[in-house]
Amino acid sequence: MPHRDPRAVLDVGEEALVLPPGDREALDRLFTATYEELRRLAAGVRRDDPGVTLSPTALVNEAWIKLADSPPAGVTSRLHFTRIAARAMRQVLVEAARRRNAKKRGDGKAWVTFDEALASAPAGADDLLALDAALEDLARLNPRQAMMVECRFFGGLDVAETAALLEVSEATVLRDWRAARAWLAVELGQGG
Amino acid sequence: MDAGRWERVQRLFHDALDRPATARRAFLQGACGGDPALLADVLRLLEADDAPDSPLDQDLARVAEQVLHLDTAELPLTDFGPYRITRLLGEGGMGVVYLARREDLGSVAAIKILRDAWLSPARRERFAAEQRTLAQLHHPAIAQLHDADTLPDGTPWFVMEYVEGVPLTDYCRARDTSIEGRLELFRAVCEAVQHAHGHAVIHRDLKPSNILVTADGRVKLLDFGIAKHLEEAEGTVDQTRTGLRLMTPAYAAPEQIRGERVGIQSDVYSLGVILYELLAGQPPFDLTGKTPAEAMSIVVDREPPKPSAVARRPQGRASGHTSWGDLDVLCLTAMHKEPSRRYQTVEGLVRDVDRYLEGAPLEARPDSLRYRTGKFVRRNRVAVMATATVGALLLGTVVFYTARLARARNLAVAEAARTQRIQNFMVHLFQGGEDAVGPADSLHVVTLVERGIEEARNLDNEPLVQAELYQTLGTISQQLGRLDQADSLLSLSLERRQALLGGDATGVAEGLVALGELRIEQARFEEGERLIREALAIERRALPDDHPAVQQALAALGQVLQSRGGYDEAIAVQRELTGMAAGGDSPELAANMSALASTHFYAGQYDTADSLNTLVLAMNRRLHGNRHPMVAEDLINLGATQLERGDYPAAEAFDRQALEITRAWYGEDHPKTAAGLTLLARAMVYQKRNDEAKTLLEEALAIRERVYGPMHPTVASTTNELGNIAVAEDRYDEAVAHFSRMVEIYRTAYGGKHYLIGVALSNLASAYNGDKQYARAEPLFREAIAMYDATLPADHTTTAIAHIKLGRTLLRQRRFTEAAPETLAGYEVIRATAAPGNSFLRAARIDLAAIYDTLGQPERAERFRKELADTAR
Repeated sequence: MPHRDPRAVLDVGEEALVLPPGDREALDRLFTATYEELRRLAAGVRRDDPGVTLSPTALVNEAWIKLADSPPAGVTSRLHFTRIAARAMRQVLVEAARRRNAKKRGDGKAWVTFDEALASAPAGADDLLALDAALEDLARLNPRQAMMVECRFFGGLDVAETAALLEVSEATVLRDWRAARAWLAVELGQGG
Repeated sequence: MDAGRWERVQRLFHDALDRPATARRAFLQGACGGDPALLADVLRLLEADDAPDSPLDQDLARVAEQVLHLDTAELPLTDFGPYRITRLLGEGGMGVVYLARREDLGSVAAIKILRDAWLSPARRERFAAEQRTLAQLHHPAIAQLHDADTLPDGTPWFVMEYVEGVPLTDYCRARDTSIEGRLELFRAVCEAVQHAHGHAVIHRDLKPSNILVTADGRVKLLDFGIAKHLEEAEGTVDQTRTGLRLMTPAYAAPEQIRGERVGIQSDVYSLGVILYELLAGQPPFDLTGKTPAEAMSIVVDREPPKPSAVARRPQGRASGHTSWGDLDVLCLTAMHKEPSRRYQTVEGLVRDVDRYLEGAPLEARPDSLRYRTGKFVRRNRVAVMATATVGALLLGTVVFYTARLARARNLAVAEAARTQRIQNFMVHLFQGGEDAVGPADSLHVVTLVERGIEEARNLDNEPLVQAELYQTLGTISQQLGRLDQADSLLSLSLERRQALLGGDATGVAEGLVALGELRIEQARFEEGERLIREALAIERRALPDDHPAVQQALAALGQVLQSRGGYDEAIAVQRELTGMAAGGDSPELAANMSALASTHFYAGQYDTADSLNTLVLAMNRRLHGNRHPMVAEDLINLGATQLERGDYPAAEAFDRQALEITRAWYGEDHPKTAAGLTLLARAMVYQKRNDEAKTLLEEALAIRERVYGPMHPTVASTTNELGNIAVAEDRYDEAVAHFSRMVEIYRTAYGGKHYLIGVALSNLASAYNGDKQYARAEPLFREAIAMYDATLPADHTTTAIAHIKLGRTLLRQRRFTEAAPETLAGYEVIRATAAPGNSFLRAARIDLAAIYDTLGQPERAERFRKELADTAR
């Protein structure tokens, strides 16, 4: 494998999606890889086949393998990649949810639905958009905590990996997670 | 809430959690003092902490399922032209496929839709590529494309033939098909794949579920979703890898798994796996329950058992002459880990299937199975893959035109842009580096070029396309070193163009430049220059100065002038070329400046060469970054002037920097790294640091052996360097070993006739000469001279030097009468061409003086002694 030019590790505290401008193609590939892995994840659930269902971690692994030979510029490590992949997954899902809602509002066309059970499934899209908005709020209160939630929930990182990525102790990760978990439940009107 | 307050709330939340549940409220009431809102916030958090259903407890998989699936399970009824969707057929990595009915005709078809097309241009492009591929393929065993369009929201879709059938393996199992029956079906699959290869399309995802058999026993190949055009397969590795990750590991070739370049042999491998499964009743590797990483390592590293050993009983009904031995060979040859050891084409595989069915011996040899493991796996990869790809593509191009012309005669001409692209691609492959194509491996390409010529001859009705193909084939022949063939093809192409287009057409100019470039390689510089100037005159009349064709012709003119030693003129042309460039950096400007620098270098103007190369270096750094191979090339050029100036430490420093970049870019196991090591070794030899040079060369040798195997010409060129060091240090046994190996390699690689065999023989003989083993040296020199006579132009310096060396061998044996004509023959040639102080000329004079003294011809001896004395002054 060709070695790549070592680049500066970007500060993990940086809030914006850490892909430099001009790397449009890498971003494109990242989103494509992420999307495909999400699809596989979703397909596993749909078949209700626990053996096939992938964890988010496996999903990031796959995306990493796909892009390992030419990761987007600025990506320097596996963990760093996970951070970016988690953000990509969140964005892909949120965008899909937005589009789904837009379509639901209707364009006056006749639609065909092939699976009645799916058609009446709970409004996962709305829930996801609400979670996304709440995470934005959390990011304003404590960026590191929001990033941690993103990495664990969307990126499937475990406690040790999250601690390594954010350069904090595992105990801190557990404490922050617990508080965030409760706070998001309150914000989204559940459990509170 | 603000950040500070959130911090406080969290601290209280955690402090409370540290206490027993019953004590928390009391603790918080104390801790919050008089802030009831704070108390309420913390209490709410504690309550939520206890509850089981935080949004973060959701399974991301389920979220994805809800968001992504619902997004596309609903489709408009009316937007598919005459087609109306009736039910879901299936879904793949890219799209979802529905059964549709064509309202007006009552026929059925399959509609494939790209879900979530908004997501990325890459996915839209891949979907479109599949559509284009299908549009190109017309074969009874390949599902046809009917229609294609886009929904109002931008979602692309296409309609293809709906195939009602069952997967190949299921079909055979259900019907208990005989071995012969299975082979017949397999053969039909191969033919479909062959058709695709003929159109330069690699399927890359062949597996039983993509191969359906209809109720009446016809085979249909589906899903070109990750198929690739060969010319695109040339692209970067990561794209290939993306393709791999979409395919099923059980049927993927090792090189696909490793993310290396795929070629038609990758499809051959997948076909081998399918055949294995058909014969043995189960796939070669059991990958169930394996993680992707485990599955990958099994496919890459493990050898499958012979199908005969796996088949619990022969599959299918008993048959007359089922010979498992042959079937094992057939399967395992197709499935060889090393692409170069597989059938090189699907056609080859089909031929052996036919031979088996006829009861004839196979072309594949069982002994080839011996080579399956170990270091051979890494061998010859670059050369072989490049060769195979080009070969297939070349055939593909020709077949493409033949088929195309049959359908729409004039289209081919209109598609000149495409031809140009294909042509560039092919030519680039051959230019992929000095080491990209070795003669031994190119034999295969040679055959394909022959066939390409044959096919092109049949295109008499389309003379322009034919001319274009002749030019492409000619340029490839030139790259292969078959200059005579290149000559006739390029000349023919040019004549055709002149006849068809008229002498003043830019198409003619292009042919003139191509032929002119061949003339440079043939060292017929005057004619080359005339052709290129003629081309330039035509282009100058028809095209603006900054047209790429004009610039290309100017670059060729610069090259020919430089080659024939017209440095001042070359410099003028190359200056003009660099002056034309618009402001700012560009790869073209860098290349042109670099060519100009080379001319100054050859003209001995090292300072100018250096300043230009320094500018080029800076530009390439801006264009590509500090650690790009182009930067390494510039550093090497800067090192070359230092070497010429005799500043060996400076040369060494440049070569070291270049090597570091090359090594980092290409890795340890790359020919470019080996080349960098060799250059550095040369700088060491000049500094008499032979031990260090040896270490570097041995490293280079190891790389070349790993990459190309022990019998490749580049290995020989490295042993040559090592042999020369050994001679310089009077270690003749070692030198003999190195040069003997060089002889053996060149003999094997070049099939007995090549001037390099002469070089190797001559060097081996020189080592024997140094060791005073004249009886051994003599026949080798004679053989070398015979080889040169057969391969080099008359009066070549190389031949002359061999004559002088042979003369010395004879002289040392005191065979003066025989020595005299040899030395004299060499002397005459060298005196006419070389500088007066040339060391071989000096050696010849010394020897001739001694010879004529002994032969009793003192006047002659005196003449050479006088010449020696004159040149010494």
